[in-house]
Amino acid sequence: MPDASTPTTLVLGGGGFLGLHTVDALQAAGLAPRCGRRRRSNVLGLRKRKVQMVPADLDDPASLLDAMQGCEIVVHLAGHYPKTSLDPKGALALGLRQSHDVLEAAATAGVRRLIYVSSTATVARNPGGLSDEGHTFPASPGHGTYHDLKWHMEQVFLAEDRLEVLVACPAACLGPGDLRVGTCALLVALAWGMDPPHPDGDVPIVDVRDLGRAVARLALADSPPRRVILAGHNSRLQPLLETTAERYRVAQPSAAISADQAFALADAAELAVSGTADRPALSREIVDLVVHGVPLSARLAEDSLGMIWTPLSDTLDDFDAWARRLRILPPLPEPSPCSPPFTKPASTPSSPS
Amino acid sequence: MLTAVHQARIYAILTELTAIPADEIKSTDRLREDLGMDSVTRMELVSMLAEEFDIDIELEEAVAIEDVGGVVSLAGQRLSDD
Repeated sequence: MPDASTPTTLVLGGGGFLGLHTVDALQAAGLAPRCGRRRRSNVLGLRKRKVQMVPADLDDPASLLDAMQGCEIVVHLAGHYPKTSLDPKGALALGLRQSHDVLEAAATAGVRRLIYVSSTATVARNPGGLSDEGHTFPASPGHGTYHDLKWHMEQVFLAEDRLEVLVACPAACLGPGDLRVGTCALLVALAWGMDPPHPDGDVPIVDVRDLGRAVARLALADSPPRRVILAGHNSRLQPLLETTAERYRVAQPSAAISADQAFALADAAELAVSGTADRPALSREIVDLVVHGVPLSARLAEDSLGMIWTPLSDTLDDFDAWARRLRILPPLPEPSPCSPPFTKPASTPSSPS
Repeated sequence: MLTAVHQARIYAILTELTAIPADEIKSTDRLREDLGMDSVTRMELVSMLAEEFDIDIELEEAVAIEDVGGVVSLAGQRLSDD
């Protein structure tokens, strides 16, 4: 139970996939987070968790200030994530404006610590091996709308000097609760027997519950790292898809297409659904993340936050159980006597041994 | 028990989310195909419904709703439960 000494914590984006697991972890750590919500937020998960909800809209700075009043800690998981990559200038303008507004409200409200959840899209390649927090882009990466937006927004938060700002850079988040089927879209398509065209590349992964635990530890740590990578596993996309095909006993995926082919395909898919309620069959930001993905070291998170990563097979099992319950995934076939039910996915630890 | 007032509130939410006037929405309209609601908007609809009537709705129920009649039916069922 939270007591009088427990810091009051506001979560922006608490109703989403990452947010609900962060709320769970904050509650497990003894905090009683209040969660910002917009009029049209999906708050079913927050209602179930009986958390306090307050109006907070990133497009309404006054509501941010009201929501942050009396808060010591703010967790910001609601950074702009454009639906498509078709309008880089518009996405950047909106993302930067919202970032400045969040920081202005936090500084005005006297928030002590703000944790901004960014992306590993801001981590540069280490030609010699795993990338860590020291591998940064000196300027916007130029890898597409998503990467450039995330880099610019992160710079705004890192430049803040009126309050303590910590930046968490999670890898591709997998786990139960991904209602929008974002990161796992290719895995889900394959499980349904489709053969989604895809590029290959490095896909660092983190269990979404580990992300929540890491954010809770950042909230409470005495000497937290300023910027920390959260990545439990390093994998390549192609073997991950092949393992998924084995798991669901569907045809193996075709070979990966080239990066240029994938860019063209994603751009055309985004244009095709522009202005509709549909989602692109292959989104540009997923292609960018795969093509420009880098294997990561999570040593800093392990050493400074005590992170122990959930095994990838457990993450996939738990996502599977949840997604089948919601009919996002097909029923798992009965195991046959001559084949194992599931082969452990090919992945390597995200820390040098 | 779902009253006419309840129904009007449901249709008002649908109008807010789709910009389609309430008197043009039919109970047989499918949320995605006829009203153009993507999966995110459909979840927002169910969430707003839960807030409006202070009812609990499980995710499994939310994703199973396909048309306006299903929305009205679920709300009526939950209100009867309370």
